[in-house]
Amino acid sequence: MSPNFREGAREGFRVFLPLSVGLVPWALVTGMTMGGVGFTPLQAMGMNVIVFAGTAQLGTLPLIAAGLPVWLIVVTAFVLNLRFIIFSAALARGFHGVPRAERWLAGHLLTDGVFATCLEKMLSHEDPRWRLGYYLAPSLWSWLLWQVFAFCGVMAAGSIPKGWSLEFMATIALIVLLVPMARLRPMLLAAVTGGTLAVLLRGMPLRLGVIVAIVGGIAAGFAAERWQGKGR
Amino acid sequence: MTYDWTLWIVFILIGLATTLPRASFIVLGQRATLPEGLQKALRYAPAAALAAIVAPDVVLVGGALEVFNPKLAAAFAAVLATQLSRNPWLPFIVGMGVLWALR
Repeated sequence: MSPNFREGAREGFRVFLPLSVGLVPWALVTGMTMGGVGFTPLQAMGMNVIVFAGTAQLGTLPLIAAGLPVWLIVVTAFVLNLRFIIFSAALARGFHGVPRAERWLAGHLLTDGVFATCLEKMLSHEDPRWRLGYYLAPSLWSWLLWQVFAFCGVMAAGSIPKGWSLEFMATIALIVLLVPMARLRPMLLAAVTGGTLAVLLRGMPLRLGVIVAIVGGIAAGFAAERWQGKGR
Repeated sequence: MTYDWTLWIVFILIGLATTLPRASFIVLGQRATLPEGLQKALRYAPAAALAAIVAPDVVLVGGALEVFNPKLAAAFAAVLATQLSRNPWLPFIVGMGVLWALR
């Protein structure tokens, strides 16, 4: 580890530490939901390590529990992760001069919180080792918090009776993510369209209704944004 | 409910569907760019997908539309709690509370 890397890491950690507390309830809820749908602690922690993504985990758990087809679960996870393509594109310049293997690691560890915290410095600081440290320290810290508190959640779920419907916590978590997004008018329209179509098209073969609903929601939001822009 | 070994394949596939978008441009670097129109459209994907997962779960009971049911009431309570409070725990406490109370 070069001194520059260490200096960047220290700075990144210092900036991110207070914000990282926000991860704790998410990790606990994700852990409790994984326990609630009937995963063993090994299965739950397996998912937590392999996937390492709150939204993708919480979004797919109801689908896994309902026994939906694998392709639908995977496509849904991918759609929930599409925002990362935008984040990844925005950060890409910050990884100029960083070796390939470390970039894969950085990519795997990308989270919403670290993206929001690191974007500006990743694009402005000159030294690639400093930037990598600044990015990796909060990312690894997030990873650790995520594993520890998800494990606590899984263990807590084990001591709660089945009839308490803990799996509904995934739905509540998705609502908590959705509500602040829907404060923007086009985003609200995307959500209402997506939700309504998913209900109306539930009878479509191969569960294609969910995919049509998502595409319809994206189209509605995009169209509303265009229309709003022209009105101004 | 118990799951067999195929669950691990599902985890790995979800993992790929997560890591590949995350790593995409960080690994590709300056060799690729994302068209602006596509970037704009992609911003709506999470909201549309979240709603498409949540809505059927809260308005369908046994596959049939049922507007007055405990899950929908719990969902409304969670929405209200999210709107009115910054406490990260409150939507879960209120939502689960309403769900348990109405059953």
